[in-house]
Amino acid sequence: MKIKKGLQLQNVCGEHIVIPAGEENMDFSHIISLNPTAAYLWENVAEKEDFTVEDMVQLLLAEYEVEEDIASEDCNLIAERWKEMGLIE
Amino acid sequence: MKEENRLIQIENQVLISEITRMFNVMGKKSVTIVARGYSMRPFIEDRRDKVILTPPRTPMIGDVVLAKIGESRYALHRVIKEENGIYTMQGDGNPTYMTETFRMEDIIAVADSFIRKGKRIETTSRTWRAYSFMWRMLKPFRRIILGIYRRVKK
Repeated sequence: MKIKKGLQLQNVCGEHIVIPAGEENMDFSHIISLNPTAAYLWENVAEKEDFTVEDMVQLLLAEYEVEEDIASEDCNLIAERWKEMGLIE
Repeated sequence: MKEENRLIQIENQVLISEITRMFNVMGKKSVTIVARGYSMRPFIEDRRDKVILTPPRTPMIGDVVLAKIGESRYALHRVIKEENGIYTMQGDGNPTYMTETFRMEDIIAVADSFIRKGKRIETTSRTWRAYSFMWRMLKPFRRIILGIYRRVKK
């Protein structure tokens, strides 16, 4: 999978927010905000042409003290949510 | 780590600078925000409605403008007068007919449309113009109408 073109992660109002760069309107009433962990993952896979949940798990393990099975569960959940929200393809 | 729908309350000062940044740096043509407060009743309702804002321009009488009206104070109200570069604005829903003044450089944004009960209404639309006209005509009775509206709304 990969992050859709044109999506940018920006720090807006102290939140990690995904902004569609191509949109002419910035909708503050409907924003996708990532928590710090999700934002860390995003930043590290944003440039990748193709990444897997396993890549995300490895990234998580490299940065956070977390059991592998929990990391794997979390990453699956995040990837699922990103897909649902149309952030990845 | 689950993502949820939640309401993020942004401090005015921060939101204002973000709006300006969206226009000037990010090149956005408009910014949508959730309406806050009751001063634009009965048309715009706190949190239910949204406002679509466009970059500052010379306002005309009747325009709804987001402007700085004092130290860290901002209002999204209707322009009712202009005299020697000093603009006066007033919230439609202010029963005390309170006004605020500002200058061109205090304008943060100009309202382009409203999303009222989920429906988009442009400020150039017939609906908005008819409402504006009617509300101006009803000016002497605003206090009474707003009083009734407040009670019915509960």
